[in-house]
Amino acid sequence: MSTPYPEDPRDDLQVLAGEYVLGTLPAAERLAVSQRLATEPALQHAVNDWEERLLPLTQLAEPVPLPAHLASRIEASLQGTRQQARAPAVPAATMRPRNASRGWWNHLGLWRALAGSGFAMAAVMAAVLVTRTAPVAAPPKFMVVLVAPQDKAPGWVVQASSTRQISLIPLGVAEVPADKALEFWTKADGWNGPVSLGLVKPGQPLQLALDKLPPLQPNQLFELTLEPPTGSPIGKPTGPIQFIGRAVQVL
Amino acid sequence: MLGVALRIVRQRALAEDIVHDACVNIWSRATGYDAARGSARGWIYSVVRHLALNAVRNARRHVDIDEETTHTLEADMSVQAFHDAASSFELNTSLGRLQHCLEALEPARRNCVLHAYVEGCSHGEIAERLGAPLGTVKAWIRRSLTSLRECMA
Repeated sequence: MSTPYPEDPRDDLQVLAGEYVLGTLPAAERLAVSQRLATEPALQHAVNDWEERLLPLTQLAEPVPLPAHLASRIEASLQGTRQQARAPAVPAATMRPRNASRGWWNHLGLWRALAGSGFAMAAVMAAVLVTRTAPVAAPPKFMVVLVAPQDKAPGWVVQASSTRQISLIPLGVAEVPADKALEFWTKADGWNGPVSLGLVKPGQPLQLALDKLPPLQPNQLFELTLEPPTGSPIGKPTGPIQFIGRAVQVL
Repeated sequence: MLGVALRIVRQRALAEDIVHDACVNIWSRATGYDAARGSARGWIYSVVRHLALNAVRNARRHVDIDEETTHTLEADMSVQAFHDAASSFELNTSLGRLQHCLEALEPARRNCVLHAYVEGCSHGEIAERLGAPLGTVKAWIRRSLTSLRECMA
Protein backbone atom coordinates (compact mmCIF):
# COMPACT_ATOMS: atom_id res chain seq x y z
CA MET A 1 0.00 0.00 0.00
CA SER A 2 3.05 2.24 0.28
CA THR A 3 3.52 2.59 -3.47
CA PRO A 4 4.57 6.18 -4.11
CA TYR A 5 2.09 8.19 -6.12
CA PRO A 6 3.33 8.03 -9.72
CA GLU A 7 4.44 11.37 -11.13
CA ASP A 8 2.06 12.37 -13.86
CA PRO A 9 3.98 14.05 -16.70
CA ARG A 10 0.91 16.16 -17.41
CA ASP A 11 1.25 17.71 -13.96
CA ASP A 12 4.84 18.70 -14.76
CA LEU A 13 3.66 20.31 -17.97
CA GLN A 14 1.00 22.19 -16.02
CA VAL A 15 3.47 23.42 -13.43
CA LEU A 16 5.95 24.46 -16.12
CA ALA A 17 3.21 26.37 -17.96
CA GLY A 18 2.05 27.90 -14.67
CA GLU A 19 5.56 29.09 -13.81
CA TYR A 20 5.97 30.44 -17.32
CA VAL A 21 2.79 32.52 -16.95
CA LEU A 22 3.67 33.57 -13.39
CA GLY A 23 7.02 34.67 -14.75
CA THR A 24 9.23 32.88 -12.25
CA LEU A 25 11.30 30.91 -14.77
CA PRO A 26 14.90 32.13 -15.17
CA ALA A 27 15.63 33.90 -18.47
CA ALA A 28 17.09 30.84 -20.23
CA GLU A 29 14.22 28.50 -19.27
CA ARG A 30 11.71 31.19 -20.13
CA LEU A 31 13.17 31.49 -23.61
CA ALA A 32 13.20 27.71 -24.01
CA VAL A 33 9.49 27.49 -23.14
CA SER A 34 8.53 30.28 -25.57
CA GLN A 35 10.36 28.43 -28.31
CA ARG A 36 8.58 25.17 -27.53
CA LEU A 37 5.12 26.78 -27.65
CA ALA A 38 4.95 26.92 -31.44
CA THR A 39 5.48 23.18 -31.84
CA GLU A 40 3.85 21.79 -28.69
CA PRO A 41 0.08 22.31 -28.69
CA ALA A 42 -0.32 20.69 -25.26
CA LEU A 43 2.08 23.19 -23.71
CA GLN A 44 0.47 26.09 -25.57
CA HIS A 45 -2.91 24.93 -24.34
CA ALA A 46 -1.68 24.71 -20.74
CA VAL A 47 -0.18 28.22 -21.02
CA ASN A 48 -3.45 29.62 -22.40
CA ASP A 49 -5.37 28.04 -19.54
CA TRP A 50 -3.03 29.58 -16.98
CA GLU A 51 -3.30 32.98 -18.64
CA GLU A 52 -7.09 32.85 -18.37
CA ARG A 53 -6.98 31.50 -14.83
CA LEU A 54 -4.65 34.19 -13.49
CA LEU A 55 -5.96 37.07 -15.62
CA PRO A 56 -8.06 38.56 -12.75
CA LEU A 57 -4.79 39.29 -10.92
CA THR A 58 -4.06 42.07 -13.41
CA GLN A 59 -6.64 44.03 -11.39
CA LEU A 60 -4.26 44.10 -8.42
CA ALA A 61 -2.02 46.55 -10.26
CA GLU A 62 -3.41 50.06 -9.82
CA PRO A 63 -4.75 51.27 -13.19
CA VAL A 64 -2.62 54.04 -14.68
CA PRO A 65 -4.34 56.23 -17.29
CA LEU A 66 -2.66 56.34 -20.64
CA PRO A 67 -0.83 59.68 -20.98
CA ALA A 68 -1.66 61.63 -24.14
CA HIS A 69 1.94 61.57 -25.36
CA LEU A 70 1.97 57.76 -25.23
CA ALA A 71 -1.37 57.54 -27.05
CA SER A 72 0.04 59.78 -29.82
CA ARG A 73 3.23 57.74 -30.01
CA ILE A 74 1.31 54.47 -30.38
CA GLU A 75 -1.01 56.07 -32.92
CA ALA A 76 2.00 57.27 -34.94
CA SER A 77 3.59 53.81 -34.89
CA LEU A 78 0.35 52.11 -35.95
CA GLN A 79 -0.16 54.64 -38.74
CA GLY A 80 3.41 53.95 -39.81
CA THR A 81 2.94 50.21 -40.03
CA ARG A 82 -0.32 50.68 -41.90
CA GLN A 83 1.14 53.03 -44.47
CA GLN A 84 4.10 50.75 -44.94
CA ALA A 85 1.82 47.80 -45.50
CA ARG A 86 -0.49 49.56 -47.89
CA ALA A 87 1.24 52.10 -50.08
CA PRO A 88 4.91 52.66 -49.41
CA ALA A 89 5.30 55.00 -52.41
CA VAL A 90 2.58 57.47 -51.41
CA PRO A 91 3.91 60.49 -49.50
CA ALA A 92 2.37 60.77 -46.05
CA ALA A 93 0.93 64.23 -46.76
CA THR A 94 -1.39 62.91 -49.45
CA MET A 95 -2.84 60.21 -47.21
CA ARG A 96 -6.30 60.94 -45.95
CA PRO A 97 -6.53 59.32 -42.55
CA ARG A 98 -10.21 60.18 -42.14
CA ASN A 99 -10.97 58.08 -45.14
CA ALA A 100 -9.25 55.09 -43.65
CA SER A 101 -11.99 52.51 -43.75
CA ARG A 102 -9.82 49.85 -42.16
CA GLY A 103 -8.02 52.09 -39.73
CA TRP A 104 -10.81 53.54 -37.64
CA TRP A 105 -9.61 51.83 -34.50
CA ASN A 106 -6.33 53.67 -34.47
CA HIS A 107 -8.08 56.97 -34.82
CA LEU A 108 -6.55 59.27 -32.23
CA GLY A 109 -9.88 60.82 -31.21
CA LEU A 110 -11.25 57.42 -30.30
CA TRP A 111 -8.17 56.51 -28.31
CA ARG A 112 -8.26 59.77 -26.41
CA ALA A 113 -11.98 59.37 -25.75
CA LEU A 114 -11.29 55.99 -24.23
CA ALA A 115 -8.06 56.82 -22.43
CA GLY A 116 -9.84 57.65 -19.16
CA SER A 117 -9.07 54.46 -17.27
CA GLY A 118 -6.33 51.92 -17.08
CA PHE A 119 -8.52 49.43 -18.84
CA ALA A 120 -9.33 51.66 -21.79
CA MET A 121 -6.30 50.67 -23.76
CA ALA A 122 -6.99 46.98 -23.34
CA ALA A 123 -10.59 47.65 -24.40
CA VAL A 124 -9.50 49.28 -27.63
CA MET A 125 -7.02 46.55 -28.37
CA ALA A 126 -9.64 43.89 -27.62
CA ALA A 127 -11.94 45.64 -30.07
CA VAL A 128 -9.15 45.60 -32.66
CA LEU A 129 -8.78 41.86 -32.32
CA VAL A 130 -12.47 41.11 -32.42
CA THR A 131 -13.33 43.39 -35.30
CA ARG A 132 -10.33 42.42 -37.38
CA THR A 133 -11.22 38.77 -37.08
CA ALA A 134 -14.92 39.44 -37.77
CA PRO A 135 -14.95 41.59 -40.90
CA VAL A 136 -17.83 43.99 -41.41
CA ALA A 137 -19.26 45.11 -44.71
CA ALA A 138 -18.98 48.83 -44.14
CA PRO A 139 -16.68 50.91 -41.93
CA PRO A 140 -18.32 51.53 -38.54
CA LYS A 141 -19.67 54.97 -37.77
CA PHE A 142 -20.17 54.40 -34.07
CA MET A 143 -18.44 52.31 -31.51
CA VAL A 144 -19.27 51.51 -27.88
CA VAL A 145 -17.12 49.61 -25.43
CA LEU A 146 -19.33 48.11 -22.73
CA VAL A 147 -17.46 47.79 -19.45
CA ALA A 148 -18.32 46.31 -16.06
CA PRO A 149 -19.34 49.20 -13.77
CA GLN A 150 -17.09 48.20 -10.84
CA ASP A 151 -13.75 47.41 -12.40
CA LYS A 152 -14.21 48.88 -15.87
CA ALA A 153 -13.25 45.57 -17.45
CA PRO A 154 -14.49 45.53 -21.05
CA GLY A 155 -16.97 42.78 -21.82
CA TRP A 156 -18.64 43.70 -25.10
CA VAL A 157 -18.22 45.99 -28.08
CA VAL A 158 -21.08 47.53 -30.04
CA GLN A 159 -20.29 48.73 -33.49
CA ALA A 160 -22.58 50.33 -35.99
CA SER A 161 -21.82 50.81 -39.65
CA SER A 162 -25.01 52.82 -40.03
CA THR A 163 -27.29 54.57 -37.54
CA ARG A 164 -29.87 51.80 -38.14
CA GLN A 165 -27.87 48.61 -37.76
CA ILE A 166 -25.68 47.55 -34.84
CA SER A 167 -23.57 44.55 -33.95
CA LEU A 168 -22.96 43.44 -30.39
CA ILE A 169 -19.71 41.51 -30.11
CA PRO A 170 -18.61 39.64 -26.95
CA LEU A 171 -15.00 40.03 -25.76
CA GLY A 172 -15.36 37.05 -23.45
CA VAL A 173 -18.05 34.89 -21.94
CA ALA A 174 -19.91 36.84 -19.26
CA GLU A 175 -20.98 34.83 -16.23
CA VAL A 176 -24.72 34.84 -15.76
CA PRO A 177 -26.52 32.97 -12.94
CA ALA A 178 -28.55 30.01 -14.20
CA ASP A 179 -31.90 31.61 -13.31
CA LYS A 180 -31.10 34.97 -14.93
CA ALA A 181 -30.66 36.39 -18.43
CA LEU A 182 -28.81 39.34 -19.88
CA GLU A 183 -31.04 42.02 -21.37
CA PHE A 184 -29.71 44.67 -23.72
CA TRP A 185 -30.92 48.28 -23.39
CA THR A 186 -30.30 51.62 -25.01
CA LYS A 187 -31.17 55.19 -24.16
CA ALA A 188 -30.26 58.35 -26.04
CA ASP A 189 -30.14 61.80 -24.42
CA GLY A 190 -33.67 63.14 -24.06
CA TRP A 191 -35.43 59.77 -24.01
CA ASN A 192 -37.65 59.05 -21.02
CA GLY A 193 -36.01 55.76 -20.19
CA PRO A 194 -34.08 52.85 -21.64
CA VAL A 195 -35.65 50.79 -24.44
CA SER A 196 -35.10 47.03 -24.53
CA LEU A 197 -33.17 45.57 -27.45
CA GLY A 198 -33.93 42.04 -26.30
CA LEU A 199 -32.12 39.23 -24.53
CA VAL A 200 -28.48 38.42 -25.18
CA LYS A 201 -26.68 35.09 -24.81
CA PRO A 202 -23.29 35.32 -23.06
CA GLY A 203 -20.42 34.92 -25.50
CA GLN A 204 -22.66 35.16 -28.59
CA PRO A 205 -22.51 37.99 -31.12
CA LEU A 206 -25.77 39.64 -32.13
CA GLN A 207 -26.91 41.71 -35.11
CA LEU A 208 -29.75 44.13 -34.54
CA ALA A 209 -31.77 46.47 -36.74
CA LEU A 210 -32.79 49.66 -34.96
CA ASP A 211 -35.68 50.23 -37.37
CA LYS A 212 -38.22 51.05 -34.66
CA LEU A 213 -35.98 53.54 -32.89
CA PRO A 214 -34.61 56.98 -33.76
CA PRO A 215 -31.20 56.88 -35.49
CA LEU A 216 -28.16 56.24 -33.30
CA GLN A 217 -26.73 59.36 -31.67
CA PRO A 218 -23.34 60.22 -30.21
CA ASN A 219 -23.19 59.53 -26.48
CA GLN A 220 -26.18 57.17 -26.67
CA LEU A 221 -26.16 54.82 -23.69
CA PHE A 222 -26.02 51.03 -24.03
CA GLU A 223 -26.21 48.61 -21.13
CA LEU A 224 -26.70 44.97 -20.24
CA THR A 225 -28.61 44.17 -17.06
CA LEU A 226 -29.43 40.96 -15.19
CA GLU A 227 -33.10 40.15 -15.59
CA PRO A 228 -35.46 37.17 -15.18
CA PRO A 229 -34.99 34.47 -17.88
CA THR A 230 -37.81 35.87 -20.02
CA GLY A 231 -36.63 39.47 -19.67
CA SER A 232 -37.76 42.36 -17.53
CA PRO A 233 -41.50 42.04 -16.78
CA ILE A 234 -42.03 45.83 -16.77
CA GLY A 235 -40.16 46.88 -19.90
CA LYS A 236 -37.56 48.80 -17.84
CA PRO A 237 -34.34 47.47 -16.31
CA THR A 238 -34.96 45.87 -12.91
CA GLY A 239 -31.66 44.11 -12.19
CA PRO A 240 -28.06 45.26 -11.69
CA ILE A 241 -26.07 46.69 -14.60
CA GLN A 242 -23.46 44.19 -15.82
CA PHE A 243 -21.94 46.21 -18.65
CA ILE A 244 -22.39 49.83 -19.69
CA GLY A 245 -20.96 52.26 -22.23
CA ARG A 246 -21.73 55.23 -24.47
CA ALA A 247 -21.50 55.55 -28.23
CA VAL A 248 -18.42 57.28 -29.62
CA GLN A 249 -18.72 58.62 -33.13
CA VAL A 250 -15.92 57.43 -35.41
CA LEU A 251 -14.97 60.30 -37.69
CA MET B 1 -2.11 47.96 -19.35
CA LEU B 2 0.27 50.68 -18.19
CA GLY B 3 -0.44 49.90 -14.54
CA VAL B 4 0.31 46.21 -15.06
CA ALA B 5 3.60 46.93 -16.87
CA LEU B 6 4.66 49.58 -14.36
CA ARG B 7 4.16 47.27 -11.40
CA ILE B 8 6.50 44.72 -12.98
CA VAL B 9 9.27 46.89 -14.43
CA ARG B 10 8.99 49.71 -11.82
CA GLN B 11 10.25 52.38 -14.23
CA ARG B 12 7.81 54.70 -15.90
CA ALA B 13 9.73 55.19 -19.17
CA LEU B 14 10.37 51.47 -19.59
CA ALA B 15 6.70 50.68 -18.80
CA GLU B 16 5.58 53.13 -21.48
CA ASP B 17 7.95 51.53 -23.99
CA ILE B 18 6.46 48.15 -23.14
CA VAL B 19 2.86 49.30 -23.62
CA HIS B 20 3.86 50.89 -26.92
CA ASP B 21 5.60 47.74 -28.13
CA ALA B 22 2.72 45.57 -26.92
CA CYS B 23 0.20 47.61 -28.92
CA VAL B 24 2.27 47.47 -32.08
CA ASN B 25 2.84 43.77 -31.49
CA ILE B 26 -0.89 43.08 -30.93
CA TRP B 27 -1.76 45.18 -33.94
CA SER B 28 0.61 43.40 -36.26
CA ARG B 29 -0.36 39.95 -35.04
CA ALA B 30 -4.10 40.61 -34.73
CA THR B 31 -4.92 38.52 -37.77
CA GLY B 32 -3.20 35.59 -36.07
CA TYR B 33 -5.38 35.91 -32.98
CA ASP B 34 -7.61 32.90 -32.51
CA ALA B 35 -10.64 33.44 -30.27
CA ALA B 36 -10.72 29.71 -29.49
CA ARG B 37 -7.43 30.10 -27.62
CA GLY B 38 -8.88 32.42 -25.00
CA SER B 39 -10.33 35.86 -24.48
CA ALA B 40 -8.97 38.87 -26.34
CA ARG B 41 -8.29 40.56 -23.02
CA GLY B 42 -6.34 37.59 -21.76
CA TRP B 43 -4.19 37.62 -24.84
CA ILE B 44 -3.57 41.37 -24.63
CA TYR B 45 -2.43 41.20 -21.01
CA SER B 46 -0.30 38.17 -21.76
CA VAL B 47 1.56 40.17 -24.43
CA VAL B 48 2.10 43.09 -22.01
CA ARG B 49 3.26 40.84 -19.19
CA HIS B 50 5.45 38.77 -21.48
CA LEU B 51 7.35 41.86 -22.68
CA ALA B 52 7.60 43.27 -19.16
CA LEU B 53 8.87 39.97 -17.73
CA ASN B 54 11.42 39.60 -20.50
CA ALA B 55 12.67 43.08 -19.69
CA VAL B 56 13.10 42.41 -15.98
CA ARG B 57 14.44 38.86 -16.33
CA ASN B 58 17.16 40.06 -18.64
CA ALA B 59 18.02 43.06 -16.46
CA ARG B 60 17.77 41.43 -13.04
CA ARG B 61 19.71 38.25 -13.71
CA HIS B 62 22.27 39.08 -11.06
CA VAL B 63 19.64 38.65 -8.33
CA ASP B 64 19.37 34.93 -8.94
CA ILE B 65 20.94 33.53 -5.83
CA ASP B 66 23.24 30.54 -6.03
CA GLU B 67 21.07 27.54 -5.36
CA GLU B 68 23.71 25.58 -3.42
CA THR B 69 24.26 28.38 -0.95
CA THR B 70 20.61 28.76 -0.16
CA HIS B 71 20.14 25.04 0.27
CA THR B 72 22.39 25.27 3.27
CA LEU B 73 20.10 27.75 4.98
CA GLU B 74 18.43 26.44 8.05
CA ALA B 75 15.18 24.58 7.49
CA ASP B 76 13.89 26.56 10.48
CA MET B 77 13.99 29.65 8.41
CA SER B 78 11.28 28.42 6.05
CA VAL B 79 9.11 27.22 8.90
CA GLN B 80 9.48 30.63 10.51
CA ALA B 81 8.65 32.46 7.28
CA PHE B 82 5.66 30.25 6.68
CA HIS B 83 4.17 31.08 10.06
CA ASP B 84 5.12 34.75 10.03
CA ALA B 85 3.63 35.44 6.67
CA ALA B 86 0.76 37.86 6.62
CA SER B 87 -1.04 38.53 3.40
CA SER B 88 0.92 41.16 1.46
CA PHE B 89 -1.89 41.88 -0.95
CA GLU B 90 -5.40 43.14 -0.52
CA LEU B 91 -7.70 40.74 -2.32
CA ASN B 92 -10.72 42.97 -2.01
CA THR B 93 -11.24 43.48 -5.71
CA SER B 94 -13.56 41.07 -7.39
CA LEU B 95 -11.35 38.23 -8.53
CA GLY B 96 -14.22 35.76 -8.77
CA ARG B 97 -13.37 32.13 -8.25
CA LEU B 98 -9.67 32.90 -8.17
CA GLN B 99 -10.15 34.94 -4.99
CA HIS B 100 -11.70 32.00 -3.20
CA CYS B 101 -8.91 29.69 -4.38
CA LEU B 102 -6.16 32.12 -3.38
CA GLU B 103 -7.69 32.56 0.04
CA ALA B 104 -7.63 28.79 0.46
CA LEU B 105 -3.81 28.87 0.16
CA GLU B 106 -1.57 29.51 3.18
CA PRO B 107 -0.58 33.21 3.24
CA ALA B 108 3.09 32.43 2.48
CA ARG B 109 2.20 30.39 -0.60
CA ARG B 110 -0.35 32.95 -1.75
CA ASN B 111 2.25 35.72 -1.41
CA CYS B 112 4.64 33.77 -3.65
CA VAL B 113 2.06 33.64 -6.42
CA LEU B 114 1.15 37.31 -6.08
CA HIS B 115 4.71 38.62 -5.84
CA ALA B 116 5.47 36.66 -9.00
CA TYR B 117 2.42 37.52 -11.08
CA VAL B 118 1.78 41.11 -10.03
CA GLU B 119 5.32 42.31 -9.32
CA GLY B 120 7.27 40.10 -11.70
CA CYS B 121 9.53 38.78 -8.91
CA SER B 122 11.91 35.89 -9.61
CA HIS B 123 12.27 32.95 -7.20
CA GLY B 124 15.29 34.70 -5.67
CA GLU B 125 13.47 37.99 -5.15
CA ILE B 126 10.50 36.25 -3.55
CA ALA B 127 12.87 34.36 -1.24
CA GLU B 128 14.42 37.66 -0.21
CA ARG B 129 11.08 39.32 0.42
CA LEU B 130 9.64 36.48 2.42
CA GLY B 131 12.87 35.63 4.20
CA ALA B 132 12.58 32.02 3.09
CA PRO B 133 15.13 29.72 1.42
CA LEU B 134 15.04 29.58 -2.37
CA GLY B 135 14.27 25.87 -2.52
CA THR B 136 11.32 26.36 -0.20
CA VAL B 137 9.93 29.18 -2.32
CA LYS B 138 10.19 27.01 -5.42
CA ALA B 139 8.33 24.20 -3.67
CA TRP B 140 5.66 26.60 -2.41
CA ILE B 141 5.08 27.90 -5.91
CA ARG B 142 4.80 24.45 -7.44
CA ARG B 143 2.40 23.38 -4.71
CA SER B 144 0.35 26.58 -5.08
CA LEU B 145 0.02 26.11 -8.82
CA THR B 146 -1.21 22.56 -8.36
CA SER B 147 -3.73 23.61 -5.69
CA LEU B 148 -4.98 26.56 -7.73
CA ARG B 149 -5.52 24.40 -10.78
CA GLU B 150 -7.46 21.83 -8.80
CA CYS B 151 -9.49 24.49 -7.02
CA MET B 152 -10.43 26.24 -10.25
CA ALA B 153 -11.25 23.10 -12.24
